[in-house]
Amino acid sequence: MATEPFDVIIVGSGAAGGTAAYVLTSLGARVCLLEAGRYYEPGRETPMFQRHGAAPLADAGTPDKPFGFYDATVDGGWVLPEEPYTTAPGTEFRWFRARMLGGRTNHWGRVALRYANHDFKAYSLDGLGADWPFTYEEFAPWYDRAERMVGVFGTNEHLPDIPDSPPGCLQPPPVPRSYERLVIAGGRRLGRPVVASHEAVITQPLNGRLACFYASPCLRGCAIRANFQSPTVMLAPASASGRLTTITHAQVYEVDLAPDGLVRGVHYVDRLTREHHYLAGRAVMLGASAMESVRILFNSRSARFPDGIGSASGLLGRGVLSTPGSNVWGRFPQMEGLPPFNDDGVVSLPHIFIPWWLLPEQRAGRLPFARGYHIELYGGRTEPSAYTFDQFNVVSPLTYGKRLKEEARRYYGSFVRFSQRGEMVMRDSNRVVIDPQMKDAWGIPGLCFDVRWSGQELRQTAHAQRSMVEFIEAAGGQVVSPPPSDPRQAITAPGRMIHEVGGARAGADPRKSVTDSYGRVWGVPNLYVIDGAVFPSSANKNPTLTIIAFAWRASEHLRKYLRKELPHA
Amino acid sequence: MPDRRETLTWLLRALALGAAPAAHIDSASARQACGGAPAQPDRLGAAWRGDRGYGRDPDLLHPQVTWALTLTAQQKTAIARLADVFLPEDGSSPAASAVGVPDFIDEWVSAPYPQQQQDRVVILEGLNALGCAAKEPLHTLDAVQAQNLVAGLHARAAEGKQPEARFFDRFRHICLIGYYTTPVGVAELGYVGYQPSPRFAGPPPEVLTRLGV
Repeated sequence: MATEPFDVIIVGSGAAGGTAAYVLTSLGARVCLLEAGRYYEPGRETPMFQRHGAAPLADAGTPDKPFGFYDATVDGGWVLPEEPYTTAPGTEFRWFRARMLGGRTNHWGRVALRYANHDFKAYSLDGLGADWPFTYEEFAPWYDRAERMVGVFGTNEHLPDIPDSPPGCLQPPPVPRSYERLVIAGGRRLGRPVVASHEAVITQPLNGRLACFYASPCLRGCAIRANFQSPTVMLAPASASGRLTTITHAQVYEVDLAPDGLVRGVHYVDRLTREHHYLAGRAVMLGASAMESVRILFNSRSARFPDGIGSASGLLGRGVLSTPGSNVWGRFPQMEGLPPFNDDGVVSLPHIFIPWWLLPEQRAGRLPFARGYHIELYGGRTEPSAYTFDQFNVVSPLTYGKRLKEEARRYYGSFVRFSQRGEMVMRDSNRVVIDPQMKDAWGIPGLCFDVRWSGQELRQTAHAQRSMVEFIEAAGGQVVSPPPSDPRQAITAPGRMIHEVGGARAGADPRKSVTDSYGRVWGVPNLYVIDGAVFPSSANKNPTLTIIAFAWRASEHLRKYLRKELPHA
Repeated sequence: MPDRRETLTWLLRALALGAAPAAHIDSASARQACGGAPAQPDRLGAAWRGDRGYGRDPDLLHPQVTWALTLTAQQKTAIARLADVFLPEDGSSPAASAVGVPDFIDEWVSAPYPQQQQDRVVILEGLNALGCAAKEPLHTLDAVQAQNLVAGLHARAAEGKQPEARFFDRFRHICLIGYYTTPVGVAELGYVGYQPSPRFAGPPPEVLTRLGV
């Protein structure tokens, strides 16, 4: 365990902070990791074989545990009484938090897709949003490192929207489930790709971790470490290095800027004792989650940065991004009344997905929206739960008695949810600010969100709804409820997909961004933002793998910086 | 929607004292037919309002229901009679009451969460209406009487009459969840997962043939 003064203070222990802790300790730095939530140990705490029926309310979601009793979220949820936030009039934003070691990596859906070069350079291609300050080729080595450490299954399909990985990065995917085979056949009929998903679950042993044994839902966490969670994959080796100190219940609220222009520590409040503490370090990395990192920057005011560190360009808090999402349910008569068989696979994660297939048409200007989406699939013969009968009520609303039991047997496992995951176009008008009135339970000023979908996201969603209907019908299914004519009724609220990023974007020009390409806040060379806050755009690909790769790259950069420019470190 | 406490009071009264027969079972006339007892503190209302949920960091390895169960023995008996009509013994699997569905419904409608509180009103309001429609107190109904009562309920629900339609929908839904998440119900649906295995074999050939893939 390292002691003060630390080389690096890392705020947050999720995808970004966990990766930085691992990389920096492995490179010899002495690190202090601050986590707002409690210590959490998946090996000891994961309810691997508890059945839905053994949980209160059969594991149905509640305000205490929105994704069910067993979900790997501690002291989190959509609404945290101690940590309120506000939204601008007429807007909605759903902000999911987890207060635990590893943050939201514990609950994560684990879709792990690489951004392609057109994702990093989308502004150059269509003039919307902003470019990333590097190309795919420049960034790809860190995707390689991330995939090798995280453990990702998937295949190289040579598709325009999904870059191939070098040999040795991806593990073999599991074979498709029954309903997934119907969708693959449907895709073939439509001439559209349906390929193996990329998921952060290992199907072969990796770095001492056991391979998946295809039982127990991943969203509860994994006691055998077959899926990626920051505590088991990143923090365990960081801790074993002897160079990591972890402080839990530490809510960081301010970065301390010294007169020489460098940061020298952070202020935090112990959430249990309410005592305030100061911790000194030679460099600080913020990985508190995109919106929390932006909030810390805003709340770090000084003569030099009266509106918060990083506010010089006026862009701090601007360009908040979410993922447009919508669903269409299909029912598949071929799946009705099948004999019992085990179709669990990697429980609760899709084995396949539908990548964005219209990139050439979009680039040629033949679509009424600028950015793409992919489609994920959930359903089939999962363990009967509080949600098994949600669609059943639509197809068999008034049955009872023996007929009800017959229909329960018949329809069980025959429903599949098709789910759009799209790219939102970045706009500066979508932003967070510090709410002038509202403070959290520890007296720290909180955030106000002003995030709205534009016609871009609505037209994309209308297209996705139609596409999902086409896929359902091509796969031999029927749509359970037809899509609404107004996509506003189909699209989920901003934030609901739990992919919120942006607000402190990285860029090549200090006037047009908050950090440089390594996440270093412009003008403050030892303060890094390493989480989703740095995203100038958010592709249709779930952000976690890119957060991990970015944090890895930033950590290597910081290690070099500490050696060169702070030789005493 | 009637005040929760009022509903509970009617229900208690209906179940405890035996409800008068009524020609109509819609909510307003039920209120009249049952006499519209004055709202007063009752132990059901007091019990659930003061309760809290299991919190945001429960012990996941030792699941516990942290709220007080609030249904009376007579209410649970009445629920068992009705649940057994919705999910009867059918030669393949037992009736709802044999696998603990009434206990599950008690757990559900006693929970302090918004969905469950909303369901509580629907369930108790519906029971009240049914109690008013029945010639006997619900907990004393025999199987045939219960069957007839649900047939009437179904007819009203099919016409979209309230509160019967929403009671039919929610009562049935909670029964289905409670029934098919028990070991018996899980087996009945043919779920055979949760088998740790070094590889995932995928669907068997006969299934692939059925699917045509």
